Amino acid sequence: MVTLQLVGSLRKELADSLSTCRLLVVGAGGIGCELLKNVVLTGFKNIEVIDLDIIDVSNLNRQFLFQKKHVGKSKAQVAKESVLQFCPTANITAYHDSIMNPDYNVEFFRNFMLVMNALDNRAARNHVNRMCLAADIPLIESGTAGYLGQVTVIKKGLTECYECQPKPTQKTFPGCTIRNTPSEPIHCIVWAKYLFNQLFGEEDADQEVSPDTADPELSWNPADTETRATASDQDGDIKRVSTKAWARSTGYDPVKLFNKLFKDDIQYLLTMDKLWKKRKAPLPLDWPEHQKLTCPQGVTGMGLKDQRVFGVAGYCQLFSRSVETLHSMLADKGDGAEEWIWMGNCDDPPAMDFVTAAANLRMYIFSMNMKSRFDIKSMAGNIIPAIATTNAVIAGLIVLEALKILSGDVEQCRTIFLNKQPNPRKKLLVPCALDPPSANCYVCASKPEVTVKLNVHKTLVLALQDKILKEKFGMVAPDVQIEDGKGTILISSEEGETEANNCKFLSDFAIRNGSRLQVDDFLQDYTLLVNVIHCENLEKDVEFEVVGDAPDKAPAPTRSQEEGKNVANGNKESSEPSTSSEAPAEQNDILLVDSDEEVPSSSTMAVSMESGGHKRKLHDAETGEASAKRQHLSQPSADDDNDIIALD
Amino acid sequence: SKRTMAFTKASKDQKYDRQLRLWGDHGQEELENAHVCLINSTASGTEILKNLVLPGIGAFTIVDGHKVSGEDVGNNFFLSNNSIGRNRAQAATELLQELNTDVSGNFVEEVCVFNYEHTCLRLGSVLWNANIPFLVCRTYGLVGYMRLVVKEHTVIESHPDNALEDLRLDQPFAELKNHIQSYDLEGMGKKDHSHTPWIIIVAKYLEKWFSEHNFQFPKNYKEKEAFKQLIRQGILKSEKGTPEDEENFEEAIKNVNTALNPTKISSGVDDIFNGEQCNDITSQTPTFWVMTRAVREFVHNDGGGNLPVRGSIPDMIADSEKFITLQNIYREKAMQDASVVSKHVESLLQSVGKVCETLFCKNAAFLRVVRCRSLAEEYSVETVNKDAITSCMDSADGEMVLYLMLRSVDRFYQQHSRYPGVYNYQVEEDISKLKLCVNSLLQEYSLNVNVKDDYIHEFCRYGASEPHTVASFLGGSAAQEAIKIITRQFVPFNNTFIYNAMSQTTATFQL
Repeated sequence: MVTLQLVGSLRKELADSLSTCRLLVVGAGGIGCELLKNVVLTGFKNIEVIDLDIIDVSNLNRQFLFQKKHVGKSKAQVAKESVLQFCPTANITAYHDSIMNPDYNVEFFRNFMLVMNALDNRAARNHVNRMCLAADIPLIESGTAGYLGQVTVIKKGLTECYECQPKPTQKTFPGCTIRNTPSEPIHCIVWAKYLFNQLFGEEDADQEVSPDTADPELSWNPADTETRATASDQDGDIKRVSTKAWARSTGYDPVKLFNKLFKDDIQYLLTMDKLWKKRKAPLPLDWPEHQKLTCPQGVTGMGLKDQRVFGVAGYCQLFSRSVETLHSMLADKGDGAEEWIWMGNCDDPPAMDFVTAAANLRMYIFSMNMKSRFDIKSMAGNIIPAIATTNAVIAGLIVLEALKILSGDVEQCRTIFLNKQPNPRKKLLVPCALDPPSANCYVCASKPEVTVKLNVHKTLVLALQDKILKEKFGMVAPDVQIEDGKGTILISSEEGETEANNCKFLSDFAIRNGSRLQVDDFLQDYTLLVNVIHCENLEKDVEFEVVGDAPDKAPAPTRSQEEGKNVANGNKESSEPSTSSEAPAEQNDILLVDSDEEVPSSSTMAVSMESGGHKRKLHDAETGEASAKRQHLSQPSADDDNDIIALD
Repeated sequence: SKRTMAFTKASKDQKYDRQLRLWGDHGQEELENAHVCLINSTASGTEILKNLVLPGIGAFTIVDGHKVSGEDVGNNFFLSNNSIGRNRAQAATELLQELNTDVSGNFVEEVCVFNYEHTCLRLGSVLWNANIPFLVCRTYGLVGYMRLVVKEHTVIESHPDNALEDLRLDQPFAELKNHIQSYDLEGMGKKDHSHTPWIIIVAKYLEKWFSEHNFQFPKNYKEKEAFKQLIRQGILKSEKGTPEDEENFEEAIKNVNTALNPTKISSGVDDIFNGEQCNDITSQTPTFWVMTRAVREFVHNDGGGNLPVRGSIPDMIADSEKFITLQNIYREKAMQDASVVSKHVESLLQSVGKVCETLFCKNAAFLRVVRCRSLAEEYSVETVNKDAITSCMDSADGEMVLYLMLRSVDRFYQQHSRYPGVYNYQVEEDISKLKLCVNSLLQEYSLNVNVKDDYIHEFCRYGASEPHTVASFLGGSAAQEAIKIITRQFVPFNNTFIYNAMSQTTATFQL
């Protein structure tokens, strides 16, 4: 019985190890706030917390260390201050920063005995996973989504790492689907988000919204292209310098914008008749001049009633009004406007109004059923419902796993899934034994290696760097050397060294089928050998394929949790915890769980249960063990362990 | 003013956005109208309240006569050093109140619990008679315990997983029948053909199937496969004779299994209809039962044995016009049915219940009633659920043994006015005393089970401590149950929940 050993003896050693343990908490959001509270009340003394986010109103329903007056301030900083108010003796360091900043290198991670992730995105999870592997520090990974949650422990060499199991890639959509042939509401929503950035934020060549004449479905005959090019030249609107420059030249006139986006561009799309042979053709919209410009019911000064769907006229109105609002906000911002980007910040009402209106108008044009603002917000921001209760449960579980690690019992750690309600076997929690590392993992294997299929004549060095090494393989600043016997440096993370290569194709460097690339990420202390397979017939819109990877079209992590399935966590991501840790040397296999602020005195309790001797020493009464208990000699009749709650 | 109200609403929508996605505006409204009472602001107690204050419970009242102690400050986040010596209810109320200004926090300075078992039973019986839900929550060392005591809790929105759509393809109502008839799959153009909603496709091929199969529904796997094949043959062919790419037909084939699910009333709902609450409607009858009775009347008199049409259909490949028309046919029928139900409600009672008929009808297939056993029944030698205890004790290290241990430490308390192991120097002698309590408990209830000594040692070591991280877990779980009960959404557990923090396992028992 593990429990016996864990609770029974050697409490002092564990209490000591808690008070000397340096702990890193990555993230001060939903789980992070609960976690900070739990760790200080469990006896951790030296805590560092890092989060780059600032506090938003929509955090306040669960992130209890923040109040309305803190909106706009640093999460890490305010969390620290709030905890100190309650627990002034804790030693907390706060960083308002990204954990992926190179300042937090392997040396930084080695300062800690334990790392706890309370993150909301996969990129940061991948990164912390690698840093903890490189520093050989145990990591507890966690995540929640609505009523679901998950906790796991990652220890180098002993358990799976976060990246051992390939995860379904985040769904991205081919450019031509977004620009020419949307078939689902999400395509229109993505288009509307791009449009927002094009008009009011930073322009990004990958977020083009105009009709795409290079759609592979079209296979133009050159004469056609010629005519069209001429036509579009004449039509100055279609071939524009940039969407934003054009919008600016019209003074952000909502009607002109409307006509361009929802009428002219659509009419232009209709000329690509190949696209509409099998599809239902889109229907260009006219600005509803004839309609009175009164607001439809519900479109008031307070914004749309969230959960209703309005008619086209309503969305025309909303479009027009949100363009005006955003334009004036842009004007107010002046030169800083370029920094205004759609960051999935769906809690910004005018931006959300704009996206709702533009997406719905496009849905209407493409014969889809329009969606409410509430639904669009979910889809546009990948908003995952979040509540205090789930985070409280998960944070409680995390600390219990931490206690096992600190007492040297990593083998007893579990991956734990939290269900929405007790499953058919009446279990709310499903604990599973940790899996050993996957031999083929391209992160934690002793010599990580991976095989990538791509077209060497069509893949740019920049795409290799950004899409494959950074986005797919989660590196921060990769260096690439070709194993060609000469040690040609293809990409250097030092600025100014290899930028000239960016716009060349891999084949320009004699990379061909069977070439091997040695990729190093100095920060992550990570080396990956990439085997290149040249491939001419990749699927449409697929730039590369990782051999043995989960298929790109893998379904999103399921929310209906069967046992053992992973749960999406935080925002944006599916969490799939796992990793490595090293048992601190001074530990033994006994875990103390009683936790209190008072530090136990120095007297030792040397008797372990499994040695059979139940010879607890009487003077233990003076140790922290006694003080950790709820009842004391001074108040023998107190009976305050029972809380009863009656609900009216 | 109206504008200020609208503004408050908008700012609340923003603050509560992430949870509105779970229980909706109406769930939030229930929450904001609820008043909960917490007895004893221990770590577990304040953790529960924190998780109710954050999402915006209307009001809370803490009843607690204790003074804040050093240990309290050590494991309770909502008590601070400078509150030592003050009344615990007041100190906790002040800090909890800070979490959310929309919530009204109150306290009563009153010692409520001297003897756990005794107090629970007494309070349990008072609340039982008043039909006020009572959730007993307890953190004892590495064990979490919850017991829900409620005579009757009715749930309209039970949010079942994987509920099937209510399409009525086996018994189409007149409007749906007419609409299906208005489609001519053979005669229509290619574009319309590939934009016909799959529901219509399945309905059309069902007609065909019926005529070939003596009006028998495809029932087993083989027949369903044959039916899918029938649909597949309907996909248009190109000039070369190869099938066109018709996604709507593929969708129809994919949905055959669930779409052919016969329309019927589940046994759970049938039981609710046949309950006595449904038979004897008086002016005192709660809305839920009036509505249920009205729906039952509908089933018998108007629905031809079926529930009101739910009125929603899933998203599907179709052009807007066809989809919206079809959607409206279901929606209008649902509204029609709801208004018939509403007439039954009116004739049952002069005053109409406050629950919206449409919501009720929409969820009629998933109505749930939770009836817990009372604490008195659980504790009485005559009515104890011996079978549940004995069968769960088959696995000696399951969670049931923790329940028996909790009962035993309460017995210890009754005899010694303290919990075992609270003073370290007494741990050894407490082990044998606790063992006597375990044995007398088993004997009193004639339970022929074996409790390992290990557990007795373990519970002595707990010394009735309340580790914060276990309290955090329990606070989250208990608040979640409270929210289920308050919002009347999702089904609360019935009736005992045990958490083993060391193995990270949980179980629920009906005791």
